[in-house]
Amino acid sequence: MRHMLCKYWQHFVLLPVALLWLSPVLWIGVTSLKTKSEVFDSAAGWLPDIAQWSNYPAALSVAPFGRYLINSVLVTGSIIAAQLVTITLAAYAFARLRFPGKNLLFGLFLVQIMFPIYAIFLTNFVTIRELGLMNSLWALIVPFVASGYGTFMLHQAFRQVPSELADAARLDGCGHLSTLWHVYLPLVKPTLVAFAIISVVTHWNDYMWPLLVTNSEEVRTLPIGLGLLAKADSGADWTRLMAATIVVVSPLLLFFVIFQRRFVDSFMHAGIK
Amino acid sequence: MNSSNNGISRRTFLGNTAALSVAGMLGGMPLMASGKEQVKLSFMYPVGVSGDINRIVSGMIGAFNAAHPDILVEAIYAGSYDNTEQKVMTSLGVGDPPGTWLPINSALQTFLSMDALEDVTALAKADDVYQDFLPGFLGTCISDDKLYGLPFQCSTPVLYFNKAALAKAGIKSAPNTWDELFATAKALTLRQGQDVTQWGLTIGGGWHDWMFESYVRQNGLVPWTKDKVMFDAAESVDALEFWLRMAQAGVMPTASTWQGSANDFMAGRTAMLYHSTGSMTNLRKSSPFEVGVAPMPKNKTFGASMGGGPILIAKNQPDAHKRACWTFARWMTNTANQSMWCKETGYLAARKSSWESAEMKRFVAEVPEARIALDQAAFAGAFLQVPGYHKVREYLKSAIDRTLIGEIRPDAALREATASSNREIQRMLRRRG
Amino acid sequence: MPRFDHEDLRDIPAAAMMLLPSLVFLALFTYWPILRSVWFSFHDVMLGSPEIFFLGLENYARLLADSLFWKSFGNTALYTLLTIPLSIICALLLAVGLDTRLRGMAFYRSAFFYPVMIPSVAAGMVWVFLYAPGYGPINGLMAALGLPRLEWLYDRSWAMPAIILMSIWKYAGYFMLILLAALQLVPRDLYEAARLDGVSATRQLLHITIPLISPTLYFVIIIGVLHSYQIFDYVYVMTQGGPADATNVLTFYIYQNAFQFQDIGYASAVANALLLFIIALIAILAATLGRRVHYLGN
Repeated sequence: MRHMLCKYWQHFVLLPVALLWLSPVLWIGVTSLKTKSEVFDSAAGWLPDIAQWSNYPAALSVAPFGRYLINSVLVTGSIIAAQLVTITLAAYAFARLRFPGKNLLFGLFLVQIMFPIYAIFLTNFVTIRELGLMNSLWALIVPFVASGYGTFMLHQAFRQVPSELADAARLDGCGHLSTLWHVYLPLVKPTLVAFAIISVVTHWNDYMWPLLVTNSEEVRTLPIGLGLLAKADSGADWTRLMAATIVVVSPLLLFFVIFQRRFVDSFMHAGIK
Repeated sequence: MNSSNNGISRRTFLGNTAALSVAGMLGGMPLMASGKEQVKLSFMYPVGVSGDINRIVSGMIGAFNAAHPDILVEAIYAGSYDNTEQKVMTSLGVGDPPGTWLPINSALQTFLSMDALEDVTALAKADDVYQDFLPGFLGTCISDDKLYGLPFQCSTPVLYFNKAALAKAGIKSAPNTWDELFATAKALTLRQGQDVTQWGLTIGGGWHDWMFESYVRQNGLVPWTKDKVMFDAAESVDALEFWLRMAQAGVMPTASTWQGSANDFMAGRTAMLYHSTGSMTNLRKSSPFEVGVAPMPKNKTFGASMGGGPILIAKNQPDAHKRACWTFARWMTNTANQSMWCKETGYLAARKSSWESAEMKRFVAEVPEARIALDQAAFAGAFLQVPGYHKVREYLKSAIDRTLIGEIRPDAALREATASSNREIQRMLRRRG
Repeated sequence: MPRFDHEDLRDIPAAAMMLLPSLVFLALFTYWPILRSVWFSFHDVMLGSPEIFFLGLENYARLLADSLFWKSFGNTALYTLLTIPLSIICALLLAVGLDTRLRGMAFYRSAFFYPVMIPSVAAGMVWVFLYAPGYGPINGLMAALGLPRLEWLYDRSWAMPAIILMSIWKYAGYFMLILLAALQLVPRDLYEAARLDGVSATRQLLHITIPLISPTLYFVIIIGVLHSYQIFDYVYVMTQGGPADATNVLTFYIYQNAFQFQDIGYASAVANALLLFIIALIAILAATLGRRVHYLGN
């Protein structure tokens, strides 16, 4: 018994907390399978009488979710691909190069995250329109190509890399790009993944901006479909909203489970001792 | 503001062009111009009651486009009423508004103050609009005797009640007056020690200012004109004092939210609920008990403020587009479409002829509750159509909230809200120049 | 020191090339709108109208006298000052607990991280249900523990704490993930040496772990401050700023002014004030915490 307790004590602490954390998603899952009148009926118990799988097709029928899914993948994928390039370069410059006005410039990068987004919507709307990008997937991508947040995050990680490693590489005749690629990037993969996850999640769930700059079904994204079920003035369409939430979140969850195993585990203690 | 000179000349100029364009439109009859290029126009709409509206609207637009080869309408779902309004305004700001859109009726003065709306009085008079639309509904699109749109999705608040809870308390029928409402709410409130297990009444939060206007109307006053509000009038103060008495007696919560209050009703947490007729289908289908619907109880009189919205037509577009927009708005609100819309969504049909159709008579026989909202509509009028209504709503809601939690007296709160609101309205009017 | 000056200049071309891609997009979609916003704040700008009138400092004067602005300001500060320490402590404990080769690690990580991925629209709605006074499970749990039932979102004093609790649920997992990545860079032999010396787990946490991950911790605090903007989504979905403005925060107030009240000029003034506040807060953090951060690389 003592042995069991010693071996598994972490589970004894973590499991209840994890279940507490999971309870909202369990509720989402269970509700997505209920009939409308079961949702708020305390007499009906926690589980649906008969699982209403038809809530899923019914939820998906309110909008072309297939098209929305492709768009969400395209938009989120393009943003993160572009961001990884811009932030890697910028973070390296801030972490390892010397140039005048560096601190000021770094501060200016951070301003991007500090300024409330609703105060810049209007001007960005006008800019997007003048660039001729209204009602296109580009309108959902280009405002987010640079990321002060990602630059900051990666900058912190780069500064953690021992400078001797970089100096050794420089002595071997590596240029900046090659040092960046061969020395720095492999060491900060967990940070890159952490950034990628949050960036993907943010843009995957973005609602207000796509609503403002897109009109056609062809260029709209998943959260707009979700909004159709959530924003009703008559009270939400609970069962279908929860079904749609599961559908929208599933690709992300899959993405996360795959990535956290492949990267966070395999790069444990990578290279640094 | 130092713009009055410029503003006036600009408005006069626009007024002239507007007159010209109406003449142009009339001259352009019949509306179905043939042999012309196809007119493309967009229609921005919110989803008021459920996601299915998106499918229904798409279906209607498809049918319209098929029947009108010279017009191509693109339906643009734009979020909630607020989101839709914001999207339209942002587009107006860059001079590129949609041809038509569907805001909440309270926004009428706001759009008028932006000089964004086409006057369709002449077109409507040449048609059966003034004869066939229910006057209460049509009135929500009228300012200074001019018509600026066609009512499309109409609603009012109604009183929902949990039939099982009433039966349990031995109450035979829904309250008909404020006094009965108070007494019924008292009888329906259940407590377990300190904790309330069932409220007698909940007034749907978030839109409680809309309900509040209905109460003031039940006191015989419409608490606004197109350029000022009278929340400090005796009729308004009396209504808020009545709410305060109910809150202090512990028969209704001092605050709630729009979503939360609907949930509370379905979960049996409140036995009576003031909510929109638009919620009727959802509440009836989702409640595990039988739902009753009654007109809002009267005080001096019955009264209700209208929710829902009209289809409006943009002023800043070529005449051919305006003609197409009118054709579209007219088609969306024709007798058959209004009947269909009413049956499918729970909104009220705006046309008398729709209610008289055999289809609707069958529907009302099946769902008598639908009729109640219509009966109540006879006493209904537009909701808070003042410029800058959003801010005015916030002032009023804040006054109500602070009163109910006992922070301030009703008369003082409403005086303050009136002063702030009128200042804001003046600011908007001054800006209009 | 001439050597540094020389190096300063030598890196300029490389730095310029590396910063250019970011700067182009920042200039277009961040700096330009901010400059416009500064300009708007001195004018009467109405959403939907092309006409703009000069007001001078009137918007700022209004702001100083606007009790709702100060209330939102107070709410924002309260939210930031409570949510960030609480969720970071929560995240740190979770990260330390998960920084082992435990079976079921993937499950735990996913369990704590998934709230980040739930769209705020849906998450907000779910929590409205969880907080429901009569039938919501949170009150059920509290009653089972012998605690008083609360009105949560309907109650002026509890609405903000309710949103804070929800934010911790939503963001602790994210901070946990960043801290987890940092913990994995801490050399294992330090712990082994400490264990051999008989150092307790708490002291290991305080004297080895925290100092070594201090740059990340510092980063997470800064990110937390910036993430407190996320509260907009929950306020928008759950309370719309109510009851009686108890949950009105500056980001929501900016949105209200810009898009509901059509008052772009005033919204810009509030936004600029918020920017100054955040810059001041970050500067204070940088001057206090930032100085004590220990970088492995330097």
